[in-house]
Amino acid sequence: MALPVESIEHGDDERVVLDRSRRGFLGPVASYYVRRIAVFLVTLWGAISASFIFFRLIPGDPIQAFVTQMESQGRYSASEQTQEIADHYRQVFGLDGNIVEQYFRYVERVLFHFDFGPSLLSYPLPATDLILRALPWTLGLVGAATLLGWVVGVFLGTFVGWGRTSPLAKWVTNLSLGISHIHAYFIALLFVYVFAYWNPIFPTSGAYDASLEPGWNAEFILSTIRHGALPVMATALVGAMGWLITTRALVVTILGEDYLTYATAKGLPKRRILVTYVMRNAWLPQVAALGITLGNVVGGNVLIENLFRYPGLGTLLVSAITTRDINTAQAVITLLIIFVLTANLIIDLILPLVDPRVRRDH
Amino acid sequence: MAVMKIIRSSGQFRFGITVLTLLIVAALAHEWLISLLIGDTDPRQVGAYGILESPSRNHWLGTDPYGRDWLAMNLLGLPSSLAVAGIAGIISTLLGAIVGFYSGFAGGRTDAILRTMTDMLLVIPTLPLILILGSYARGLSIVELALVLSAFSWPFAARVIRSQVLSLRERPYVELSRMSDLRNRHIIVQDILPNMLPYLGIGLATSSVGAAFALVGLTIIGLAPSGVLDLGTLLSLALEWGALSLGKWPLFFAPMTLLILLFLGAAFISQGLEEFYNPRLQGRR
Repeated sequence: MALPVESIEHGDDERVVLDRSRRGFLGPVASYYVRRIAVFLVTLWGAISASFIFFRLIPGDPIQAFVTQMESQGRYSASEQTQEIADHYRQVFGLDGNIVEQYFRYVERVLFHFDFGPSLLSYPLPATDLILRALPWTLGLVGAATLLGWVVGVFLGTFVGWGRTSPLAKWVTNLSLGISHIHAYFIALLFVYVFAYWNPIFPTSGAYDASLEPGWNAEFILSTIRHGALPVMATALVGAMGWLITTRALVVTILGEDYLTYATAKGLPKRRILVTYVMRNAWLPQVAALGITLGNVVGGNVLIENLFRYPGLGTLLVSAITTRDINTAQAVITLLIIFVLTANLIIDLILPLVDPRVRRDH
Repeated sequence: MAVMKIIRSSGQFRFGITVLTLLIVAALAHEWLISLLIGDTDPRQVGAYGILESPSRNHWLGTDPYGRDWLAMNLLGLPSSLAVAGIAGIISTLLGAIVGFYSGFAGGRTDAILRTMTDMLLVIPTLPLILILGSYARGLSIVELALVLSAFSWPFAARVIRSQVLSLRERPYVELSRMSDLRNRHIIVQDILPNMLPYLGIGLATSSVGAAFALVGLTIIGLAPSGVLDLGTLLSLALEWGALSLGKWPLFFAPMTLLILLFLGAAFISQGLEEFYNPRLQGRR
């Protein structure tokens, strides 16, 4: 069996290989879809349950802390009522009843109403409001950086692999090998120092000019791009160098294949070989690999948002952590996990559409 | 010896092992190096020198806002960073080896369940989870911290080792042992384990880097366990002091460079090992 995907970093990536031994009444693609979606639902449930358990394992009583904090702010003076007040809030935050009841209520609320309860950070605002407000900024940063890095990396990697014997290609390979192992946070730190503090070309923090009113006008969009440029470029640079290395390895392997020798012997023009034989075979596995890297990018993005004080999910998470707002923290974590899992699902569902080898039944 | 052979043949491995050895030597000898730099002065002593001095002959990297020699402070932070990376790396490689071995050797449903778990942990963003755990566990020692971090970085090792076990158990000599009715333990210890060593090395390098960066992430957010002074703490202090806007680049440059060297060293070692032992990758460079 020929594996359609050979992912260097991850050894045996079997996700896109259709299971040919178990053929049902559904066609191979349809049964692949059914199985992939089933895996998605199981993982989603697993992730939501795990995050529930994870937050229950944390020592301390967040409600007691919340009530004490409100008391210290002078909102409640009658301290003999503390127990009643705590009970009330326990109910509001969905923390009453035994752990099993809490669990079922939690899963039902999250899955069907996408409701994470009120936030402690800005009570009584629902945590969902806070995360939905922050979500577009994070999606923008992560999305732009991932796409930019992938496109640049795969293109450069193809050319570096194509001209692998030239000194320039070797030099570029070694340089990118080094850069790909530096975390994007450090690159962002360098960028912000050089391009924002030392040479004030880009703004140092925030997502847009504070004097502007958010809206769909040219001025605001330009300001958003200027503010997003440094964080996006830092993540994209590290990503691109990683994609360059893996694409180059794929291309070098492809160049050694028999069908390529045959194509050259047939006298096909070089351009045609590069575009239809090399590029297509190199970038398809890289689409499949895209999803695996996303979790790391999303995680690292938390730190980068913190560096740029960018109003995304990462910054929200850090302030939720420091104020012990578990509802919001839990909402952010769950949303990030759902985001990564869904992106992986979409990639795996698109794959048969673009890769005939996955689509065709051998 | 195998190691000498790899050193001779792989430039990447040579680079990685050199950088990492230098860092480890510097960490082991940090007290002596600090005494060479600033004599008998306690490197943590506030106000020992002028504040925020620029790099000079006496203070190669200048001083911080509390008048402490910055190079000495970095030498002081280096051992903690290396220790967390090393301890967490070893524990998570062990965990990953157990899961990977069991998964690859047992096959069937056990394999499917363990692999789904491994893949899930690999795919979801774990750094945010670590940040939350860290915020509730402020009083941890370096060893406890390393334990927590390794709970999240074992999947790298598990994945590498599982795919290797899968390939090894199909080899003719393993087949032979199995046909001669040798026990599983014999097969694992005699036939498989010796061939796993380089992959354990790769797993160790990868998970050490993962753990070291998770610690940096914790400390950058300001969630360093109290009492732990590592390079990430120094970096977050430098940012807190406004090193960026003051233009005091050595303050963040020094810990950052040491951390990057640590990551590069480990990454190049694993890259070199992989290339040396994986015939599929040979000749690609």
